Amino acid sequence: MSIQEYFRPQSIEEATRLLADQAQGSLILAGGTLAMPLINDGISMPEMVLGLKDSGLNYIKDQDKYLVIGATATLSQMASQTKISMLSEAALAVGGWAIRNMATVGGNFFAPPPGGDFTAALLALDAEITFVSSQGERTIAVKDFFTGFLTNSMAPGEIIKEVRVPFPEGKTAFTKYGRRHANTPSIVAIAANLGYQSEKVSKARIALNAVGPYPLRAVMTEDYLLGKSLTEQVIQEAGEIAAGECSPFTDAIASEWYRRKMVPVILGRTLEQIGD
Amino acid sequence: MSVRIVNFTLNGRNIDVMVKPLTTLQKLLREHLNYTATKTGCKQGSCGSCTVLVNGEPMVSCLLPVEDIVGKNVLTLEGLSDNGDLHPIQESFFELFAVQCGYCTPGMIMVSKALLDHNPDPNRDEILDALTGNYCRCTGYEPIIRAVEESARRLNLAGEGV
Repeated sequence: MSIQEYFRPQSIEEATRLLADQAQGSLILAGGTLAMPLINDGISMPEMVLGLKDSGLNYIKDQDKYLVIGATATLSQMASQTKISMLSEAALAVGGWAIRNMATVGGNFFAPPPGGDFTAALLALDAEITFVSSQGERTIAVKDFFTGFLTNSMAPGEIIKEVRVPFPEGKTAFTKYGRRHANTPSIVAIAANLGYQSEKVSKARIALNAVGPYPLRAVMTEDYLLGKSLTEQVIQEAGEIAAGECSPFTDAIASEWYRRKMVPVILGRTLEQIGD
Repeated sequence: MSVRIVNFTLNGRNIDVMVKPLTTLQKLLREHLNYTATKTGCKQGSCGSCTVLVNGEPMVSCLLPVEDIVGKNVLTLEGLSDNGDLHPIQESFFELFAVQCGYCTPGMIMVSKALLDHNPDPNRDEILDALTGNYCRCTGYEPIIRAVEESARRLNLAGEGV
């Protein structure tokens, strides 16, 4: 069976209505950088495809204490925005120029491991994600999005509408480690956001990518860092805890063993950026 | 299946084509319009050999449905030369041996064109960043980087009317 129809809704209302009308469901396509390779290879053979590029979701706007990012904003748009520097760094960590011109913020949530570097930055920033369906909207924390390997908490008929990122307090740092300087899958990528009170860590958010079934928060590491100063010993201990609480995998890029070994090294570099 | 008529601009020419749902721009260019400078490499968006410019921005045509470029300006390598005269970027690639087997060349030149349109005087790091999505398995990249630097020099001289 080949593709019967490529719908290109011109508004989010039209998109959710089309999705609600299709009992068997549609493949949802935004930038195409994840779905089109599978379609080109015949691995994915959807009958109905719903393209979101023209549905008006490519905005980035300031709203009170949030940067609100539409689901189809491209990673190139994120790279050139200057409101939250870590989101720019994380966007530049993904793919090459042409891919960033196509790949979207919403799409990165569906990137199979070791993809998802941009989503890791959203996790560390306590971002929220808003879904929309013909029934209305609902918002959850990005940390509650993933439920397992390639599974998530979206309901049938829902589309990602936007991501709401609170403007970060304290310091942020993003480090990606791969086999090449750029355009490379992650061995490990780490996003951190630390708040301080009288030189002690008062808030810690550490997100790890490519060392688990999806981008994860290193909550034990975060708890450990609370109330501490970033001394060499603390950074070392934090690295050991993070290596223990992630669940790396072996692929063509790196082995499980190597990924776990690199977690303390890359976390150390990330925290040193923050300490400087 | 619903076949659609899509209208866009290709190298300055107005084009109307009928396409099946989700036909890629790469397939349309090569198999229907006979614009074969745009190469078919990995069909995964990984190699960059199919890069074209859409409204001046590089995109990999193997992942781009034709229906997504309605009303847009597409530039392929065929649109660079002027009545058979090579574009300065093409001249530089040719003269500085930035071409061996030639398969990556159209993609490399299109990204270089976009880079030099955005940034007429890029440094080496900026050239590397721009070209990182384009794989070359022959040259070792150095001649390509030198060709982009030379292209910038020639284009800037031409811009100054020298």
